[in-house]
Amino acid sequence: MTIKVGDKLPAATLRTIVDGAVTEVTTEDLFKGKTVALFAVPAAYTRTCSTKHLPGYVVNADALKAKGVDTIVCMAVNDAFVMDAWGRDRNVGATVMMLGDGNADLTRALGLDKDSTANGMGIRSQRFSMVVEDGILKSLDIDPPGQFGATSAEAMLDRL
Amino acid sequence: MTINVGDKIPSATLKTMGADGPEEVTTEDLFKGKTVALFAVPGAFTPTCSAKHLPGYVTNAEAIKAKGVDTIVCLSVNDAFVMGAWGKDQNAGGKVEMLADGNADLTRQLGLDMDASGHGMGVRSKRYSMIVEDGAVKVLNQEPPGAFEISSAEAMMKQL
Repeated sequence: MTIKVGDKLPAATLRTIVDGAVTEVTTEDLFKGKTVALFAVPAAYTRTCSTKHLPGYVVNADALKAKGVDTIVCMAVNDAFVMDAWGRDRNVGATVMMLGDGNADLTRALGLDKDSTANGMGIRSQRFSMVVEDGILKSLDIDPPGQFGATSAEAMLDRL
Repeated sequence: MTINVGDKIPSATLKTMGADGPEEVTTEDLFKGKTVALFAVPGAFTPTCSAKHLPGYVTNAEAIKAKGVDTIVCLSVNDAFVMGAWGKDQNAGGKVEMLADGNADLTRQLGLDMDASGHGMGVRSKRYSMIVEDGAVKVLNQEPPGAFEISSAEAMMKQL
């Protein structure tokens, strides 16, 4: 079952790197009292993700925050080390928080996982974006496999 | 059951990053008629792996090959995109083949997998090294969790 607009985000623990150390980030801490623009990609370092999806949110970070977004999150079923290295490679800096859902715990709880075993990538996330206000899902956009459009930063700007 | 010295390496398909994207590498192609020095790490871009393990094999690649090794392989339960990016980051090109076991197919068959869910990393590989001659395991060095010593490039040089 995929999460629906109006639902509360399920509880899960994600991970990020802070000052070189792996740090846990609970969904409660992440979403409580905040407006969060979250986008998820099938994998770090892949072409669409690296050339369009993540860069779009980096470039438009100020514009998104000007529209009331407190935190921009990039999530993938990769570990925190990979997400951090990828963020540095793409010069994300403080614009976008790079969160690893390495066990796919949150992705599965959202019903937005997909089986990429045939591509040698195990269980991954679908490409999606969401706006979450104080832990409640306000909008959800999912790109069909192999496509990129509805989940872009530009599309999210139009929504906010 | 962990693989033993003398056993044949099981069949599995790994992936590597080619010029136009991920390419398949079967264990048959990888090991047939060759002497292969393979080391496996729990995760790309992690501190020990990036600071010591992979760099040791990159630095000693020529010396290892001078001792009769045809191919040096770095294996991890990460996808080909991550392994490719990590290899580039660590200047492994032409020295160490960065192979991805993204579904942990080979790692599980070798009995060298570990559950890293507690660290938000799902199923991963233990840290080990092996020398494989024409598909048969000649030497296996398995590190205890958290240790890095017997699977180093320097240790392998003494076993060749």
